[in-house]
Amino acid sequence: MLIYDIWFLFIYMFFIGNLIFVSKNKHLLVVLLSLEFIVLSIFFFFLVLLMFIDYDMYMLMVFLVFSVCEGSLGLSILVSMIRSHGNDYFQSFSML
Amino acid sequence: MNNNSNKMFFLFILFFSTLISISSNSWFGCWIGLEINLLSFIPLISNSKNLLSVETSLKYFLTQSLASINFLFMILIKFSLLKNFDMNNIISIMMNSSLLMKMGSAPFHFWFPNIVEGLSWMNNFMLMTWQKISPMILLSYYFNKNFLIFMIIMNLIIGSLGGLNQTSLRKLLAFSSINNLGWMIFSIMISENLWLFYFLIYSMMIFMMISLFFLMNMYFMNQLFINNMNFFIKLNLLINFLSLGGLPPFMGFMPKWIIINFLLINKFYFLTFIFMMTSLIIIYYYIRIIYSSFMFNYFKMKWMNLLMKNNMSLINLSSFISISSMILSTFIFM
Repeated sequence: MLIYDIWFLFIYMFFIGNLIFVSKNKHLLVVLLSLEFIVLSIFFFFLVLLMFIDYDMYMLMVFLVFSVCEGSLGLSILVSMIRSHGNDYFQSFSML
Repeated sequence: MNNNSNKMFFLFILFFSTLISISSNSWFGCWIGLEINLLSFIPLISNSKNLLSVETSLKYFLTQSLASINFLFMILIKFSLLKNFDMNNIISIMMNSSLLMKMGSAPFHFWFPNIVEGLSWMNNFMLMTWQKISPMILLSYYFNKNFLIFMIIMNLIIGSLGGLNQTSLRKLLAFSSINNLGWMIFSIMISENLWLFYFLIYSMMIFMMISLFFLMNMYFMNQLFINNMNFFIKLNLLINFLSLGGLPPFMGFMPKWIIINFLLINKFYFLTFIFMMTSLIIIYYYIRIIYSSFMFNYFKMKWMNLLMKNNMSLINLSSFISISSMILSTFIFM
C-alpha cells in the first residue's frame, strides 16, 4: 500500500492551491500564482500516472501547452488591469 | 483600429472549440475544448479600455479557469481509479460541480450576474447561449442524477428569487438565464434531443429580447419608462417577456410543456411543483416591468421619441414568430 501514498501528495497540493486561490489576498498576482501551482500539481500527477501505466508522455505535453496558454492569458489580463487601474489590488474593484 | 476581423477570428475559434469539446473521444479532449473556449472568449469581451470591461474579463477568467482546472484534476482521478467503483458518486459529483461552475448554475452562480452586468448586449447573448452548450453536453456524458436534481431545485429558486430586486435589465436576464438553466439541466437528463429543442427555442427568445434591447440601447429598467415607445415595440416587449416566462400561447411555452409532461408521467410531483412556482415568480417580475405601459393611463413622455421606423419589420417578425410558433409547429407534419 506504500505505493498509493503518493496520491495523497497530489490531492494535498491541489487542495492547497485551491485554498490559496479562494483566500482573501491583496494582490491579483497571488491568485494567478495559485492557479499555476494547481497546474503544477496536475502536471506531477499526470506524469506519475503516465509513468505507472507505461504510456507515452505526449498528452502531458499537450496539457502543458494549454496550461501555459491559460497562464499567459491570466497575465495579459493582469497587465490590462494594471494599465487601467494602476495596480493589481482587489480593493480597486468597485464597479460590479 | 478595426476590431471586426479580430472578432471574427475569435468567434470562429469559439465555435470550433465547442465542437472540439462535444465531439471528442476522451475526457481530455473535452478539457482541451473548454480551454480553447476560454482562450477565445476573453479577447471578445475585453476589447474596450474602460475599467468595467477589465474587471469583467478578470472575473470571468478566474472562475472559468478554476473550473476547468478542477475538471481536469477530477478527470485524472477518475482515470487513476479505474477499478474502484465505490468512488463513482464522489467523482461524478466533483466533475458535475466543475461543469456547473463553468455554466453559471447555482450554487456556483455568483459570478454570473456580475459579469453579465459588465458586458454589452451582443457579448451577453454569446455568454448566455453559446457558452452553455459545451458544459451541458459534457454534463450529459457522466451525471449524478440525485446531485443534479438538487442543483436544479437550487437553480430554479435562486433564478426566480434573485431577480425580484433588480433594476438592471442585464441582471434580470441573467437570473432568468439561471432559472432556465434549471429547466435545461433537467431536459438534458431526459434526452439530448429535448435539450436541443429547449435550447434552440430559448436562444431564439433571448435573441429576440436582446436584439430589441440592443436596438433601443436599453440597459436599465427606468429607460423603459422614459422612452416614448411605439405601440408595436411595447407589444413586442410584452410578448417576448411572456414568451420567456412560459405563458401558453407563446413560443416559450412549448419546451416547458414537454418537460412538464415528462415530469408528470414519471411522477416527479414535488419537482413539478417547484418548476411551476418558480415560473410564477419569474412571470410576476416580467409583467411588473411592462404592464403599466399598457393601462389606460400609461406614462408617456413627450420629449423622448424613439424613432424606429426602419427597423419595424424585424420587430413585427419576432412578434409573429413568438405568437404563432406553437400553432404553426403543428402544421409541420401535415
